[in-house]
Amino acid sequence: MVVDGLRTPFVKAFTDFTKLDTIALGVAAARGLLKKANLGRRDVESIVWGGVILPGTAPNVGREIALDLGLDPACEAMTVTRACASGLQAVTLAAAAIERGEADVVIAGGSDSTSNAEIKLPQKVVHALAPLALGKADPKAILGAVGKLAPFTDILPTRPKIAERTTGEVMGEAAEKMARRNEISRAAQDAFAARSHHRAAAAMASGRFDDEVTPVETSEGKWVHADGLVRADTSEEKLAKLRPVFAKDGTVTAGNASPLTDGAAAVLLMSEEKARALGYRPRAAFSSWAYVGVDPADQLLMGPALAIPKVLDRAGRSLAEIDLVDLHEAFAAQVLCVLKMLGSTAFARERLGKAAAVGEVDPARLNVHGGSIALGHPFGATGARMVTTMANELVRSDKQTALLGICAAGGLGAAALLERID
Amino acid sequence: MSDVLLQIGKNAQARAFVNALGLPIPLPVPLRRARGPWRERPLADASVVVGASAGAELAPVIAETLAAAGANAYLTGADSSASAFAAPGEAYGRPARALAALGESERVAGVVFDATGLEDVAGLRALYETFHPLVSRIARSGRVLVLGRPSGKGPAASAAQAALEGFVRSVAKEIGRGGATANLVRVEKGAEARLGPVLRFLLSPRSAFVTAQPFVVDARTKADGDKPPFVRPLEKKVAVVTGAARGIGAATARRLAEEGAHVVCLDRPGDDGPTSQLARSIQGTALLVDLGADDAPSRIADVVRGLGGLDVVVHNAGITRDKTLGRMSEKQWDEVIAVNLGAVVRTHEALEPLLREGGRVVCLSSIAGIAGNVGQSAYAASKAGILGFVAGLAGALAERGITVNAVAPGFIETRLTAAIPVAVREAGRRLAALGQGGLPEDVAEVITFLASPGAAGITGRTVRVCGGALIGA
Repeated sequence: MVVDGLRTPFVKAFTDFTKLDTIALGVAAARGLLKKANLGRRDVESIVWGGVILPGTAPNVGREIALDLGLDPACEAMTVTRACASGLQAVTLAAAAIERGEADVVIAGGSDSTSNAEIKLPQKVVHALAPLALGKADPKAILGAVGKLAPFTDILPTRPKIAERTTGEVMGEAAEKMARRNEISRAAQDAFAARSHHRAAAAMASGRFDDEVTPVETSEGKWVHADGLVRADTSEEKLAKLRPVFAKDGTVTAGNASPLTDGAAAVLLMSEEKARALGYRPRAAFSSWAYVGVDPADQLLMGPALAIPKVLDRAGRSLAEIDLVDLHEAFAAQVLCVLKMLGSTAFARERLGKAAAVGEVDPARLNVHGGSIALGHPFGATGARMVTTMANELVRSDKQTALLGICAAGGLGAAALLERID
Repeated sequence: MSDVLLQIGKNAQARAFVNALGLPIPLPVPLRRARGPWRERPLADASVVVGASAGAELAPVIAETLAAAGANAYLTGADSSASAFAAPGEAYGRPARALAALGESERVAGVVFDATGLEDVAGLRALYETFHPLVSRIARSGRVLVLGRPSGKGPAASAAQAALEGFVRSVAKEIGRGGATANLVRVEKGAEARLGPVLRFLLSPRSAFVTAQPFVVDARTKADGDKPPFVRPLEKKVAVVTGAARGIGAATARRLAEEGAHVVCLDRPGDDGPTSQLARSIQGTALLVDLGADDAPSRIADVVRGLGGLDVVVHNAGITRDKTLGRMSEKQWDEVIAVNLGAVVRTHEALEPLLREGGRVVCLSSIAGIAGNVGQSAYAASKAGILGFVAGLAGALAERGITVNAVAPGFIETRLTAAIPVAVREAGRRLAALGQGGLPEDVAEVITFLASPGAAGITGRTVRVCGGALIGA
């Protein structure tokens, strides 16, 4: 049962949150959630956290959050990573644990601080210097280490980038390739991106996000109250002026892709009995979820087009019955490709073994308050953000079902179906 | 002995130098080959041009195969088959485009021409119209595939269909110097569904040394309707390879194992070392048997029974005792016939009851068995006998879903051919349309394909792996 959810503002990497690492961001989101839900420190039994860029010295971010928050030391914690679906993975793991009776009260969510990505030393340096670090640093050993380091060109620290380990393809290149192969135009991408910004701006202006975003104090003592990336004043015309980033004659630009972002989001999950006993009103529950994999060398970001039909089948629903659809916007091109696949009978026949297309998604029901293009995409946080926004939206707009879809590095796809509880 | 010309050809500067000298030495182009096991999309991002005669019927299979294999299709002319390409293009995100969309100077990885609708001699003009502008644009190790029917309705249609073979054989020789191949696939009515895997194989780098020949795809072997697997096709299957110690046998055993088969590596007790080493490295079973011994068939059958059954048999073991007929001893003659043909028949008879439904039998023949060769009367007789054996057996086993085929290697770089005198060896290499010898792996790829579930449409046939070496025939 999803009882509540909260997130930090999402801000551009290397801006306000530069000095806050992923643990600090997670603490901020979880602390805000505890306060908002008026939950006792002892009530939380478990933390399940998602993250992509994990700190090398403390990779179990979830446990660090629990300790930093001063939760009962008995509150156990784990950290999961499933690229951009890490946040959703954490939430569905928590739901599964509650279903199995392992816990009654769990905080699940995720965070990422691109600003704090560690610059990695090449393994060659690590291996060459190991004798010095672990043994005696006599001149012979030093010379030996230096010898192993030559030639020196490949021992420079490498800039972290979001490239596939198997194919070396940068994610933007994958989106570019998918746009070309599925014939998604630049104009369609820009229009989608503009709409994402306009909807997110409208949600902010209307106060719609007020009870799901908690202010965060930076180390400089500044309070950040609102998302920093949404541009109310953007337009298709403005976006059309941007230059493509990943190919000369390409269509993917900084404007129609999700930006590097710092932020965290947390969701409070409880068993139904416990929620009612503590006096909470659960908002929604998962009726199904699915994770899939595709060959990263083919169409890296098409996962949701396979995960969504699985989720619908498992829940015994059709796409037409779904009230709200929330797709993670890694790239406008990727969302539009997935929508095209869902609407294609040929795709359904060949790739899903179904006679009819999964269905068209009415733009009015899709990403009603914008998505990752406008709000930003702290990798581990996005799934938890989507769960929170959709659970709230089901209650506010008096709807029954919300479908979530996320694509992730490695050719992974995720989907989940939330149903409102009365 | 390594192929000096091929080595020079691999070096761009040396190549330019030799060409600048204007020597009458055609430098062979290194063939593009695939390593490792089969992949889901062997044609990833390859540009394949598709043309068709009026009334052609194979567009749905071609469209589906290309899109699933990762190729981008470009259609020639005002093609009525474009509609068949729409659905697969959409499903796999590879919409077919008009040939004009491809840059004028861009090379094409393959050309597929569907001539199944060809019914008269005048229709042959479509071949010229399609290939004339494209032949110079075929990429290194590119592929030409013409698809036809085994016979036509009436003599004129049969003439037109037969003409395709001469066309393909000649194109193969014309484009062979660029490492490219050309083949004809004749698809019987009702066997269209079995064409896909054959197309996939012939368009891929796996068929590097297969060129200038006709294939026939028919539906006489029983097959379940399931889509054959593209990767790990031999998962959970048991295979026996005779003569596995080295050369083609060893390469075949390795490839079959890579595709998931448990391989029984069989060779003579004298070759204990390499056979056992191979079996260990591919986690198979070593079996040391002299195929000439009386109890050989029953011993093999016992081992196979212990493995629970049999799916693939590759009769590869063979010997040469080359002598002109006048100089050949009685013993030599008997040895060659006994091992190359007699042992195959005897071994097969013992293993036939153990073959499971969907089994595959592949027998090694030789170009010598097709074309004959001085000093190889016994060898050629034994290898020609293999052709008769597979043709005769295919019909009998069709009901059980088992196919039987022969593979006829041409000049392959092995220990056998390294022993040939230098002048003859050079001639052997250069006579091929591809201008070079093949590798044991090239033969192994063909055998692996014939051993796969997707090869259900090919039975009782002989596939040459000779780089287009056969003159005339």
